Amino acid sequence: METIELLILILKFILFPGALFCIAYGWFLEWFDRKLYARFQNRIGPLLTGPKGVLQPFADFIKLLAKEDITPAGADKFGFTVTPLLTLVVSLFTLLFIPIASLSGILSLSGDLLLVLFISTVFGLLIMFAGYFSGNRFSIVGTERTGLQFVAYEIPFALSVISVALATRSLEIVNIVTYQVNTLKLPLIVIVPVAFIIYLISSLAKLEKIPFDVPEAETEIVAGWQVEYSGKKLAFFRLATDLKMVFVSGLAVALFLGGPYGPSIPGLEPVFYTIWFIIKTLVVMFILSNLRSLFARYRIDQVVRGFWKYLIPFAVLQILAVQLLIFLGVI
Amino acid sequence: MLEEEVEEKRVFKIPVGPQHPALKEFENFTFTVDGEKVIDVDFRIGYTHRGIEKLAESKTYIQNLYLCERICGICSAAHQGCYAQTVEELAGITAPPRGVYIRTLIWELERIHSHLLWLGVAAHEIGFDTLFMLIWRDREVVMSLLEMISGNRVNYAMSTVGGVRRDISDELKHKILKGLDVLEERTKYYKEVCMKEQTILARAANVGILSKEKTLKLNAVGPTARASGVDVDIRRDDPYGAYDEVPFEVIVYDTCDVLARILVRVDETIQSILMSRWILENLPSGEIRTKFARKIAENEVLGRVEAPRGELLYYIKSNGTDKPERLKVRTPTLANLLPVAEMLKGGYIADIPIVLAGIDPCFACMDRALFIDENSEKTWVWDKEQLRIYSIKWYKEHGKEVVRERWKQ
Repeated sequence: METIELLILILKFILFPGALFCIAYGWFLEWFDRKLYARFQNRIGPLLTGPKGVLQPFADFIKLLAKEDITPAGADKFGFTVTPLLTLVVSLFTLLFIPIASLSGILSLSGDLLLVLFISTVFGLLIMFAGYFSGNRFSIVGTERTGLQFVAYEIPFALSVISVALATRSLEIVNIVTYQVNTLKLPLIVIVPVAFIIYLISSLAKLEKIPFDVPEAETEIVAGWQVEYSGKKLAFFRLATDLKMVFVSGLAVALFLGGPYGPSIPGLEPVFYTIWFIIKTLVVMFILSNLRSLFARYRIDQVVRGFWKYLIPFAVLQILAVQLLIFLGVI
Repeated sequence: MLEEEVEEKRVFKIPVGPQHPALKEFENFTFTVDGEKVIDVDFRIGYTHRGIEKLAESKTYIQNLYLCERICGICSAAHQGCYAQTVEELAGITAPPRGVYIRTLIWELERIHSHLLWLGVAAHEIGFDTLFMLIWRDREVVMSLLEMISGNRVNYAMSTVGGVRRDISDELKHKILKGLDVLEERTKYYKEVCMKEQTILARAANVGILSKEKTLKLNAVGPTARASGVDVDIRRDDPYGAYDEVPFEVIVYDTCDVLARILVRVDETIQSILMSRWILENLPSGEIRTKFARKIAENEVLGRVEAPRGELLYYIKSNGTDKPERLKVRTPTLANLLPVAEMLKGGYIADIPIVLAGIDPCFACMDRALFIDENSEKTWVWDKEQLRIYSIKWYKEHGKEVVRERWKQ
């Protein structure tokens, strides 16, 4: 009996809703993002690989795996090789905490919200290492910018998550989801709308999307921190970026949009929850793609100033508002 | 001493080009940067030297029409038209009015397409890809108009010595007028976008400042000069073609930054649309070209036009045969190169692409053999090495004070 349970757990980790599902869904999200972005710009976007080009990110991945993998002479060989792997592993690991097919993630422990926040911070650090280890001038500038941007977005990101934790009085993702499902019977976005907006803006910076794609600004510093990466390593980085997209939108769903919960037929919850999860993350991705097609790229000083001047005060105000609501006994 | 060493380590050099995503052509700029700040700029030109001027000496006047057109892909009509009218003056013939009008129409349509292209590139440089895509979509309208008139999208081959090669029928005229309406509406919309969109303002306003004094001193031309408050336009100052008859305004802004350069070009596009419409409505009837004797007696002429990027200068010397003895071209980008180095100093790395793009550079058409500087009515000839030495010397003398001034603001 125990072996069967163990087998199911392993299958959960590897197949669904673990690594394979997340990777496939990451590619799907990349396709969705690219397609939407293209349509906003009156372009066609990915078209030929698979129906409507849906397999394009997968094809890109395979193509990159087959490409020559160059390690520059000036690079730190160990760091240069390890960082892409580590980035991929870390982004896969965070996804284990995201509730996809049930109200809790595959892994769930008390205080896992803090753990997830901490690991998501490691993304930024790893990017800095990636640029630093490759020993290229453009990478160094990209690394500096990543560091600066990191200082800018990480705090509002954390503050917006904290206001959710305060409102639900819990640091456990499963409790936050069940609070929305059972106690509040509403998604938390109704209570903390400002935190949701701040979360979205900071996650644009976290994902390095326009208008915050400063660390890899193509026209300025070529590709920034990833300029020296090629072949398999670049493929891993790109896959990690896709997984980060799943993570950011999945966490947004769990924290603000009531998790994967939705109307479903009893007994078939995992299927329906997955469908609701996909619909809700697509909505989040739709907003993110929309935002990134609307703006020009900010300069790094403008990014830092903007985040500290506007987002952090609003995040603090949101926390105060939550405190007030708790004090009044509304939530 | 220790402080100096630390300084030394913080400062390092970033090469931009010969291959770089921000540059669509080959050119090398070396930026000395301290973190995100640009301290010094050095540039090296000549990567696309094609020996066109020498080649022109071995071709006839008619063959050279198509060679000159290929100096620049974007302002091909300006090059060809300028060459054609300079040869006309050399030979002492005048093109018939209808021919001149059609030539002017092509120039203005080309200005529309060039400015829209630039606007798209500028949007791309500041990371606003949506605007880039939409502008380039609308630019297709004017591209198809040019294709309808000339049969080509890029090198129109419309001008010839003594007039133009194709006529415009009434049916075509109506199509062009319709296309111009679309363009006018869209361009006005883009002007509004450029003036109101906060991210564009954040990246363009007060960036890449070039003061009026420096503009005059460093001899900037075209929209770059007009954005710094210098009121120059060859079309008005030294009318050629049909410009003495066509009504138009010279657009001048005096904020001296990238935003001014954007707005000058948007407004000029609107002016060009109005001018094209006026030309079509007042198109004189008659012949489109006169005959031209193949051999030209000994003579020399300096012709200039206002290309989309600024003053374009052609010097042609004839020697009694059917081939020119000397053909010399000075394109606007060369004149704008020293000013752009001036604009870049003291800025941020992030501003390099948009400031560089701000002069609408066309390096391929700039790279020929020599450099003629027309400063304060004196004319002398420099090769690119001397130019480089000059720029280095100039920075050594003035670099620090310019940076200091910039940081005071």
